[in-house]
Amino acid sequence: MDYCLNTISDEEKEILQEIMNIAFGKAAADLAEVINIFVVLSVPYIEMLMAHDLPVYIKSQVSEYDRVSIVEQNFWGEFKGSAFLVFQASAGRELISLFGDGSGDFGSESIDALEKETLMEVGNILIGACVGKLSELLGDAVTYSPPRVVTENTPNDAIPVNIFESGSSAIVLKTVFCFNERNVHGFLFLVTSHDSILWLKKSLAAFMEQYE
Amino acid sequence: MIKKILLIDDSPISRRIMKSCIPKDRDYELYEAGDGLAGFEAYKEIRPDVTFMDLTMPVMDGAEATEKIKEFHPEAVVIVCTADIQIKSITNVLGLGALMVIKKPPSKETIEDALSKAEAHIG
Repeated sequence: MDYCLNTISDEEKEILQEIMNIAFGKAAADLAEVINIFVVLSVPYIEMLMAHDLPVYIKSQVSEYDRVSIVEQNFWGEFKGSAFLVFQASAGRELISLFGDGSGDFGSESIDALEKETLMEVGNILIGACVGKLSELLGDAVTYSPPRVVTENTPNDAIPVNIFESGSSAIVLKTVFCFNERNVHGFLFLVTSHDSILWLKKSLAAFMEQYE
Repeated sequence: MIKKILLIDDSPISRRIMKSCIPKDRDYELYEAGDGLAGFEAYKEIRPDVTFMDLTMPVMDGAEATEKIKEFHPEAVVIVCTADIQIKSITNVLGLGALMVIKKPPSKETIEDALSKAEAHIG
């Protein structure tokens, strides 16, 4: 098997990093339009690793959190994989007020349910806009599963162990962000399987061709 | 008249995209820097007519670099080219003295338009 066809080069990583930067910037702007928040962005990071190392890798990235809340969403197209939006477990409570009318009155809904709904909404916007823009820039369109919120797990249990076949490779696109007004920060991981790599390599080349 | 253009962006791909969008027939001298601090140092040395500035960068971000450049040289023409298109980010850098903000990825048309505006601004 040709190694080059199953991995991505440093230059391809740099292109993907820039596209992820643009995509998450769009997602942050979309979120800031819906709720009064400012998202502090950072430079995205691209990593290629074996699928069976993913849970350990992601756990090591969020090791500063004792407990986490995760919004998980899968996407399908030529570009397919899973998105994990990881917050510290207190984030949902911090963010609830952003969606209320400011009165602090949340009716009969329990705080736990509200936390989940808030995280789901934030996740839906950030993941949808980011993955949507990313696939648009790469000439694809994706469909999504409904977002799923997993709360109060330790990072150990947070990420499904068998996302992809254990012998396969995976590309992780990571960005760290911070909601300025709420002291909430988190990570977005987009994980795509090796099934997408050939398509991805072609699409990255096509993206750059328009700038030759 | 614009002669020297400085591109400040941590992404070599983004700088390559920018360079490809800058008209080739005008003999601009292009200079590059990979973060805000290096960009500020390059600005002081080169004194470019126009500076294209990214915002999200390591070492020193583009907002701080814009502020420093405008403090050093209030007439500096800084055009921000960024993926951070939140209204607050745009308002902030315009308040710091950036001439305009272009969203990434740029096109030949947006860069040409920005250079025309910069040319008019320089007078």
